Amino acid sequence: MKNTDLYWNLLLETLPRDKLKALQFKKFKRIVKWGYENSKLYRRIYDEAGFTPDDLQTWGDISKVPMLEKEHYRTAQAKDPWPYGDSLCVPIEKVTEYRQTSGTTGQPVYQPDTWQDWEWQSECWSYILYAQGFRDTDRVFIPFGYNVFTAYWNGHYACEKVGCEVVPGGILNTEERLLKIKELRATAMMATPTYVLGMAETCRKKLGIDPAELTIEKILCAGEPGASVPATKKRMEEAWGAKVYDHVGATEIGGWSYECTSQPGGPHVNEAFFLVELLDIDTGEPIEEPYRPGKIVITTFDRLAQPCIRFDSKDVSMWGDPCTCGRTFRVLQGGVHGRVDHITKVKGVLFSPVSVEEVVRGIPELGDEYELVVTKKGDVDVITLKVELDPQSGTTPEQLQPNLERQLRLKTNLAYKIEFHPFGNLPRYQVKAKRFKDLRKHV
Amino acid sequence: MLSPEIDYKEMDRIIGDVKSNIQRLMEVSGGIQCVDRNCERIMAAIKMLELNISDVQELLP
Repeated sequence: MKNTDLYWNLLLETLPRDKLKALQFKKFKRIVKWGYENSKLYRRIYDEAGFTPDDLQTWGDISKVPMLEKEHYRTAQAKDPWPYGDSLCVPIEKVTEYRQTSGTTGQPVYQPDTWQDWEWQSECWSYILYAQGFRDTDRVFIPFGYNVFTAYWNGHYACEKVGCEVVPGGILNTEERLLKIKELRATAMMATPTYVLGMAETCRKKLGIDPAELTIEKILCAGEPGASVPATKKRMEEAWGAKVYDHVGATEIGGWSYECTSQPGGPHVNEAFFLVELLDIDTGEPIEEPYRPGKIVITTFDRLAQPCIRFDSKDVSMWGDPCTCGRTFRVLQGGVHGRVDHITKVKGVLFSPVSVEEVVRGIPELGDEYELVVTKKGDVDVITLKVELDPQSGTTPEQLQPNLERQLRLKTNLAYKIEFHPFGNLPRYQVKAKRFKDLRKHV
Repeated sequence: MLSPEIDYKEMDRIIGDVKSNIQRLMEVSGGIQCVDRNCERIMAAIKMLELNISDVQELLP
């Protein structure tokens, strides 16, 4: 195989780190200038902070650029030019695509894109697909209800760009989608980890088919951390007899990272198209060393209608070791570990819900679904973990509970109130699951 | 990995030529929509070539 066959872009993906950093700084300055000159939102934020693009002289000056949060978009939008308001950087007639965020954390953010932006999104996703082995010989099934949410739209268009044959799963229900995968002998698909596991369950329980007997060879996951959680990845790979790859992206940002076929334990950041900064959660200090968790602040270099400059994603991750695949793009070990606003103190202990997923999905007798609820009883925090026993497991809650409690304590240093629910009773999700609920009043 | 057998400078030059040609086509289109709109799409694709190849030229040996 030629080197050019291994990468979507041999030049950028293997660029020496010093040149990559120089390219990033050049592009960073370019997009900051664009935002300042074309967006009332950025102009206002920068003016208030006393910052101008000319202040960017060295790499160290990047931290002088004021950060942006989702709330900035919300307050700038819902006014003329409708509905994007002050966040829009191009004439409204240049906008060809509307999408919006899911609204999980409040009022949805409207996302405008020009045709060039949309082409750029497909380009970012082409890096993702190619790194995960998607080729023109693949028939890709997309089990996604094409709608106002970004989700797999760009996956669809990037498949076309890479040369794959795309099958849009649209409004089909889960059983119909599975039957279509079987009928067409699809070789790949893309979905949230929750839905990948849900599809496998439906396949076995309702169709009486082992999903591993279908022809799916690779699955691209997005929307949730699962594909970088080893136990969840293992469950998906075993269920489907396929390789499962992670990807992290967001509506306001784009498809900014991808796991490669070397599966280094997390996704590479596409550092030619994005700047990812990891900042200490408490101090805001930049983190360059591996294995130290930090908050992801991200800049999109080339998206113009609504730029995303030093956007505080509220996601948490950490740098990993260099990958063996030859890419010089850094790896985020473990993908996204969770959100800053989900990593909270419970009983005085720093608690990340994703660590519970690793335990639950690592116990084969348990079903795929779980739910975490934090409440307060008097002055004491109580974490309730709701799980389902796999009916085929041949065990009982009483037999399983001590092992589950022990593993949870080892992993999180916390005690849990465990509830076993009848199999199938916990909610099933098609897109992003909402498994963590913090019901304490002070939160 | 800067493969010596790939001439990035020449690629960059051709990308520039293609861009100039499409810009000229738009100038002489007389406002014919099918020309202008298709050219706009081609320009977006050319931009992707610039992001992938041309943007990094000054950093290459």
